[in-house]
Amino acid sequence: MNMNEVDILLVDDSHEDLELALHALRREKLANKVFAVRDGEEALDFIFCRGPFSERTFDHPPKLILLDWKLPKVDGSEVLAQVKGDPRTRTIPIVILTSSKEERDRIKGYSLGANSYIQKPVDFEQFRETVKTLGMYWLVVNQPVPNSHAVSA
Amino acid sequence: MNQDSAVEVLLVDDNPADLELTSEFLSRSRCTSRIHTASNGEEALAFLQRAGEFVHRALPSLIVLDLNLPRKPGHAVLAAIKQDPSMRQVPVVIFSTSQAPADIQRSYELGANSYVRKPGNLGDFTFAVTSIGEFWVCCANFPNGDTKKTAPTATLTTKENA
Amino acid sequence: MMQTLAVAEVAQDGSRKDAELGVVADKTVALKVLIVEDNSFDQELILRELRRAGFDVNAALAQTPEAFAIQIRGTCPDIVLADYNLGPWRGMETVEILRREKLDVPVILVSGALGEVEAVECIKQGATDYVLKDSLARLPIAIRRALHEKQIEHERQRAQQDLARKAVELARSNQDLEQFAYVASHDLQEPLRMVAAYTQLLAEQYRAQLDEKAQRYIHYAVDGALRMQTLIQDLLTFSRCGRADMDAEVSDCNLILQRALDRLCAAIEESHAQVTHDVLPTLPVNRSQLEHVFQNLISNAIKFRGKEPPAVHISAHPEADEWKFFVRDNGIGIAPENTGMIFAVFKRLHTRSEYPGNGIGLSICKKIIEQHGGRIWVESQSEGKPSVGATFGFTLPTTRQRNGASS
Repeated sequence: MNMNEVDILLVDDSHEDLELALHALRREKLANKVFAVRDGEEALDFIFCRGPFSERTFDHPPKLILLDWKLPKVDGSEVLAQVKGDPRTRTIPIVILTSSKEERDRIKGYSLGANSYIQKPVDFEQFRETVKTLGMYWLVVNQPVPNSHAVSA
Repeated sequence: MNQDSAVEVLLVDDNPADLELTSEFLSRSRCTSRIHTASNGEEALAFLQRAGEFVHRALPSLIVLDLNLPRKPGHAVLAAIKQDPSMRQVPVVIFSTSQAPADIQRSYELGANSYVRKPGNLGDFTFAVTSIGEFWVCCANFPNGDTKKTAPTATLTTKENA
Repeated sequence: MMQTLAVAEVAQDGSRKDAELGVVADKTVALKVLIVEDNSFDQELILRELRRAGFDVNAALAQTPEAFAIQIRGTCPDIVLADYNLGPWRGMETVEILRREKLDVPVILVSGALGEVEAVECIKQGATDYVLKDSLARLPIAIRRALHEKQIEHERQRAQQDLARKAVELARSNQDLEQFAYVASHDLQEPLRMVAAYTQLLAEQYRAQLDEKAQRYIHYAVDGALRMQTLIQDLLTFSRCGRADMDAEVSDCNLILQRALDRLCAAIEESHAQVTHDVLPTLPVNRSQLEHVFQNLISNAIKFRGKEPPAVHISAHPEADEWKFFVRDNGIGIAPENTGMIFAVFKRLHTRSEYPGNGIGLSICKKIIEQHGGRIWVESQSEGKPSVGATFGFTLPTTRQRNGASS
C-alpha cells in the first residue's frame, strides 16, 4: 500500500478491536486503504511523515484518523494535542474511538480539538454498526479540507 | 421515551423554510433529540451563553450552523463559539450550500468539527440531514453530560423554537 | 486623333489578350509602379508599353537597393518591375528587401536574357513572374494577373480570419451557454427542493384532514415537483459534462463498470436482470463520466425490457487506435426509424406512463463519449422480430483526447 494513499489511519493497541474495525470497514466497502498502527509514537511518525514513514508527504493526509485514547508509548491525548496543534496537520478529521466512559476524557478530547468522540460499544454488532455509520459520515458526507489528495477508489 | 437522554441540538439558519425542513428530518431520526432553533448569530450566541431569556436553557450537545447568516456571518459565530471557553468544546457542524474551498478551509481553521454541504436536491438533502442525525445524534458522545442512546425505538422528540 | 486611334488599337489587342485571362480591361486602370532599372531606354520602353495597355501610370524609379528601400517605405506601389541584372546588384534583391520590410508587393522581373531554369528559380524564391524584354507586350498581362492573384489572396486571408474569429466566438458562446445551463439548473434546485419537500410534508401531516380530491391534487403537485427535480438534475449533469475540468486518467474499465452496477443493484435485483460482461480494457477516461455512461445504458437496458427478465451483456474489442464497446440487451428494441433521433435531448420514444424517464440520458452519454473523442450509436435488430433487443455501441480512443480533437 502506498503510504500516501491511506484513507483511514487506525490507531489502537487492541488487536481484537483493530480486526473488528477493519472487518466492518471492508464489509461496507467504505475505504480501500486502511492503515493500522499500535501505539502513539507510530501514529505521530505516520502523521508527521518521519521515521519509518519519511516517504510520506503532508499534502496527502489520511481522510480520517480513528484514535484510541489509551495508547502505549505516547498517549492518545498527546497525539491529539500534537496533531491539532500543528498547522500542517490540524485539519485532518480525528475521531476518538475509545472504551473509556469517563466524562473528563470526553471533555478533554473535544477541548483539544477532536472532531468527534465515540465510546466503543461493547456489543460486537453495535460496534460494527458504529464503524459503518462513522465511516459513511466521515468519508462520504463530511467535506474534508480542500486540496487534500482525493484518492479515487 | 426518555427525555433525559435526548440530544440537545441547536440549529442556526436564517431561512425559516430550511430551518423547519432540517428540523423535521432531524427529528425523524431513530434516536431522540430535542431541537432548538435560532435564525441569526446573535440569537444563537445568546442561547449558548444562557443570556437573557435563555438563562434556563442547557448548553446543547450539538450545533448545526449555516454560514449564510444576516448581520453576523456564520464564520464569525463559529469563531465566537470556539474562542469562548464555556462553549468551545461543543461540536459544531457547518451545514451550508457553499462548496467554495475557501469557506470549507476557513471553517476548519476556525475549529469547525465537521462540514456538510446542504444539497439543493430533496433526495440528497434528506440523505445529508439523516446522515447528520445517524452519526451525531445516534453514534457520537458529547462532552457535557452523557446522553447515550442505542435504544433504536424512541422516536418521539420535542421540537421547540428558541 | 492618332493617339486615340493608337489607344483604341491597343485596347483591342489588350482586350483580346486579356480575354484569355477572362478579364476585360475596358477602361483605364490606375497603376502605381516602382521600376527598378538602370537603363533609361528600357525604362521608357516599359512605361510606353504600360500606357499603351491602358494603364494610368504613376511611376517611380529606383536604381540602387538603398533608393529602392526608401521608395518602398515611402510610397506603396501596386507592383515592382525589376530588371534581373542591375550591374552591382540583382533584381531579386528587391524580393528580399520587400520580405524584410514585410511588404506584400508583387515583383515582376523584366529581363534581357533569362534562362528557363533561372526564371523558375526566381519564381521559387518569391518573384511573381518574369517577362523578357523582347516580349514586353506580355508585361500588361503579367501585371494584371499578378494584381488579380494578390486580390484573391487577400480575400482568402480575410475569409480565413473571419472564420477563425467566428470559431472563437462560437466556442465562447457555447461555453457561456453551458455555464448558464449549469448555474440555472444549480440555482433552481433549492427552491424546487422547498416545493417538493413541503408539498410532501403537507400530504403527510394533514392526511386525515384532506379529502380524496385534495390528496389527489397534492399528489399531482408532488409528482410534478419531483419530475422537475430529475429534469434539473439531468440538465445539470448534461451541462457539467462539457466543462473544461474533465480529467481523464488511465483507468480499469472493469472497476468503473462494477461501480455502475453497484449503483444499479436495486434495479437489477428487482427486475431479476442478468448482467454479464467480457474483460474490459484499461483506458484514459474520466471515471465518473464513464460510470455515468455505463449506468445509463444498462439502466435503459433493464428499463426497456420485454416480457422476459432482462439479460444485458457488455463486451469490448480493440480496433485500430480505439476500443469498441457494446451493451446488448434482450428488451423491446428500437424501431429502425427511431435510431437516428434517439440521442437528441429530451427525445422520448414512449409515453411516460409506459416507461419512466425524461429522455436526456442518452444525450448525456453522447456528449460524454464525444468529449472523449469517441462516437456512440445504436443498432437494433427489432425489424421483423419483436423483442430481440437493442445493442448500443460506443468507442473510446486508446490515447488521451481532449474535447474530441485528436491528440
